[in-house]
Amino acid sequence: MLEVRNISKSFYRAEALHDVSLTVNKGEIFGLLGPNGAGKTTLIRVINRIVEPDHGSVRFDGDLMTDADLGRIGYLPEERGLYRSMTVEAHAIFLGRLRGLSKKDVRAKIDYWFDRFQINDWRKKRIEELSKGMAQKVQFICTVLHEPKLLILDEPFSGFDPLNVELIKQELIQMRAAGKTVILSTHNMKSVEEICDRVALIHEARKVAEDKISNLQAERKMGLYAVRFRGNMIAFVNALWTGFELIDKDILSEDRFVARVKMRGESSFEDLLKVLIGQVQIEAAWEVMPSMQDVFIDIVQPVEK
Amino acid sequence: MKNSLLIAIREWKERVGSRSFLLFSVFGPLVVLALVYLLFVFGGESKQHWNVLIADPSGVLKDRILSADDKNISYSFADGYIETDEFRDAKKYQRFDALLEINGQILYTKVSHVFYRGKPSTQIEKSVQYHVERRLEEVMVDRFTEFSIEDYRKIKQPLNLGFRDVYDPEGLESDLEGWVGYFYGIIIFVFVFLFGMTILRSVSREKSNRIVEVLLASVSPNQLMLGKIIGVGLSALVQFLIWAIVIGAGLFFMRETLFPDMLNAANLNVQDLAIEASNQSYSENYFAAREYNEFVELVYNRVRFSVILPFFLLFFVGGYFFYGALFASVGATMGSESDGQQFVLPIIFMLCLALYSGYHVLYYPESPLASFLHYLPFTSPVVVMVKLAQGYEPGYGYQIYMSLLVLFISAFAMLAIASRLYKNGILQFGHRVRIKHIFKWLRKT
Repeated sequence: MLEVRNISKSFYRAEALHDVSLTVNKGEIFGLLGPNGAGKTTLIRVINRIVEPDHGSVRFDGDLMTDADLGRIGYLPEERGLYRSMTVEAHAIFLGRLRGLSKKDVRAKIDYWFDRFQINDWRKKRIEELSKGMAQKVQFICTVLHEPKLLILDEPFSGFDPLNVELIKQELIQMRAAGKTVILSTHNMKSVEEICDRVALIHEARKVAEDKISNLQAERKMGLYAVRFRGNMIAFVNALWTGFELIDKDILSEDRFVARVKMRGESSFEDLLKVLIGQVQIEAAWEVMPSMQDVFIDIVQPVEK
Repeated sequence: MKNSLLIAIREWKERVGSRSFLLFSVFGPLVVLALVYLLFVFGGESKQHWNVLIADPSGVLKDRILSADDKNISYSFADGYIETDEFRDAKKYQRFDALLEINGQILYTKVSHVFYRGKPSTQIEKSVQYHVERRLEEVMVDRFTEFSIEDYRKIKQPLNLGFRDVYDPEGLESDLEGWVGYFYGIIIFVFVFLFGMTILRSVSREKSNRIVEVLLASVSPNQLMLGKIIGVGLSALVQFLIWAIVIGAGLFFMRETLFPDMLNAANLNVQDLAIEASNQSYSENYFAAREYNEFVELVYNRVRFSVILPFFLLFFVGGYFFYGALFASVGATMGSESDGQQFVLPIIFMLCLALYSGYHVLYYPESPLASFLHYLPFTSPVVVMVKLAQGYEPGYGYQIYMSLLVLFISAFAMLAIASRLYKNGILQFGHRVRIKHIFKWLRKT
């Protein structure tokens, strides 16, 4: 769907992107991660042809990208604004028309999305009367109004309450199901874990990782297992011998716990289960995968060191 | 272009729908009308009674002009020839308002001059011409023909009587028409400045509320800038149209209701007078008109609106694009709304230079500097308005079109330069604008 090849971009003496290449497949939600100032926004601007790269190219559906392709992209920038004096409806019509919709189509799309987001009452409200969350909804609708094939969202969840974050997530999942492609740049790692298929991590202008989330997590698993059991916590600890280390525990009730245990030396998960059986009543046990937050820190911190 | 149009329409709607636009549309022309009304009422206090000294060494008109002919003019005769300098400075002539030279050749050349201290009203000019012409006719008929005076008047040709300022006999100083042109020039620059600042504020607001990046995902920076300039410019034109209609209607109302007497008198011209000279009752009515106001006559008769207004519009459009592009690029390069105001100063300086150039041309219309300023795009909208009102020499009207061409070429060049600044500056936020940035952005394609 989208191929970014060897993109480099400098602003005066500061290098914003250095030889960045990545591929976004059709119908996937692709996470673009990285610390602040890593170069994500510059990369997104290059893809949207707002910033011209010094080197490299962007291919869209196999061909070199042109201005004509912009109509097939929906872009929600991180620093996004609205014309405060316009009404919600007039604003949506203006942006829809700019993105190539006819007068008739734009009205039909507005009806559909305003119904879907239940904001029909806001049509005649001026943007300046809206709360930040309400304005975010309007911005999201304006981004998807023209049914783009590729959606590029830069920090789409900022400013939303948890309910609306969930609403946007579900919309993105439905769009993926409908064959649309989404590039999501966010610091919300929980959302990345939940909805992204693959991610790329940009750090200090360079791409330092690009893979499926499960692969990135698997590469960084640390022999950590969780056991949910019923019984006595002291008995659980006593059962562990030198091959295991109790990392932390959650108390579910007086006699129910979830304990996280790290393997030491040659110890295996089977060994752990063997020593526990008979000491406590095991309800469930599973391998603890590192969170995307852990993966992010794990990748970024060594680079910083 | 479609995107530029959409942006222009949005800008236009936002401007036209704003309260400030409505207020400026209503109160602006009303203030102008009020000023015009005040000039009509209080501006007509020009000298009502004139003492005219006739220097007639050859005695052509001796005893022929009687003061009783017109209550507003008294004629006196001097025996010898009087130099204009002498008339201007000598104490004994200070009680006279004008000097009429009659030399012996007037019967053959039909040319004479009146040197005045303060510019007479057109009615006084017409009266003097009327009196002199009638007396000369009588002399000529007496001396050279067998005709009766009535027969002669049927075949006569009009007298060419030139009125000149005794302090400026060459007519170098400006006239009221020139000031009217200057007023038009000021209007152009007031509109250009007001709406140029609107562009600047609009661009910097889009930068500060970050809508600009949303827009740039769909339109190019050039389309965005052009759409903005066109949209704001259209709202300026609408405003101007409202001004023109309200002021036009107001002037018509005043003409029909408040000052009908003055206007009836001022509506007459010399040709009408010559044709109707033999009609005694007509001339009596004409000179019976007591009320006269130079401003009334200026506004309704002497300003050639049909010539000035089309060029006013063309130079307004050219000047607006030229300065509008400058304002847009300054807006785009500003890091914040407060920062970058320093770059507005050079534009304001240029606007002031333009206003001064109009003033210069009023007083020195034929100077080399005036010719230069006539073609300089910063100043030409004002200068051409002044020159247009003063009147071009026959055969030199092409200079207007040359100036217009230079202005439009410069405006396009300025749009090209501004688009570079706009493109490179529009996504720069929170920085301090430096000259070196401007040059770097100009060099970047």
